[in-house]
Amino acid sequence: MGCRDIRETISAFVDGEASPEEAGAVREHLASCERCRVLERQMRAVGAGVRQIRGTVPDRLRETVFARLEAEGALPPPMPAHARSWRWAAAPLAAAALGLFLLTSGDAIRKASVPGPPTAVFLTTEDRETIALLDVLEDTATFDADGESEGMDLLAPGDSAEPPAPTRGARSGA
Amino acid sequence: MRTDEELMLLFREGSREAFEELFARHHRAVVRFAWRMTGDPATAEEAAQEIFLRIARAAPSYRPTAKFTTWMYTIARRSTLNYLRDTEEEGEKVPILQEGEAEDGVYPVHLPGPEDRNPERMVWEAQLADRFRAALGELPEAYRAAFVLNRGDGLSYDEVAQVLGITVQAVKTRIFRAREMLLSRLSKDVSG
Ligand SMILES: [Zn+2]
Repeated sequence: MGCRDIRETISAFVDGEASPEEAGAVREHLASCERCRVLERQMRAVGAGVRQIRGTVPDRLRETVFARLEAEGALPPPMPAHARSWRWAAAPLAAAALGLFLLTSGDAIRKASVPGPPTAVFLTTEDRETIALLDVLEDTATFDADGESEGMDLLAPGDSAEPPAPTRGARSGA
Repeated sequence: MRTDEELMLLFREGSREAFEELFARHHRAVVRFAWRMTGDPATAEEAAQEIFLRIARAAPSYRPTAKFTTWMYTIARRSTLNYLRDTEEEGEKVPILQEGEAEDGVYPVHLPGPEDRNPERMVWEAQLADRFRAALGELPEAYRAAFVLNRGDGLSYDEVAQVLGITVQAVKTRIFRAREMLLSRLSKDVSG
């Protein structure tokens, strides 16, 4: 394979994204081509260049974000500590007795004797549904918060597959 | 430790602590990404705020079908793109690679690489770093996004493809083109 044809594969090779066959071809080419060896090093270097742009976290980023979210009702206010631990402790219990739970007042659940917060519980889908149910029954504000959400097209597949055409210079995409 | 996906689901169900944890885990990456994409601290801060607002607002529709970070970067990229569209009157800047320029594959510029053991060259000297930032800012956004997500944020080509909604082959091509353009621009600085 000639230098020109293999350069894109060298780029993928540098990123660890070449297939074993491609990597073999690249290594073979590099062994006999000084110019592409230089290019390979330069390709690695520009990758490292991106990482030296680090930025700094603005001082008040957290405060600003949380204040804005609270203002628009997208973030619940901080909960008292005892309510937090109750939420975790109640989840497995409720999962085991979901049917009964539906007929039970929140007070009875709160009074149940339960161990401390689980540290390594794997949450199944059912657990999550139960937690959701707990939240819904406990706090009707959850409904309100959901209802206010905007229907954003965050994951719409409409993102154009090709970048806007450069006006000159670059070749068009493969 | 709970996964990002679990935290997101908990936040969706009303847990503030879950969002606090997600913010603590990812705000640095979000700021860095916004900085690299916009090249401007003030714009990066605005974009970073917007990204977390969008994550919170979109939580009700979140489904753990993809990695949280893939979902987060999808939001992040769309947010920075909006800021770039707002601030750049006429679309993309002109790429700098000229046909045939890299024909012989030699760019007359010395760049410090990870394999460079000379301590003085292990870090990018300030002037070169400035020129690199300028060159990165001149890439078409679509190329810059692919390159930054992969080299800056460590997303695989497959993850970059998901974030940008393109094929893995297109990611490969964009990253290669980004490298060509960057090397071409940096070489031009040296010779001119
Ligand atoms: Zn070669």
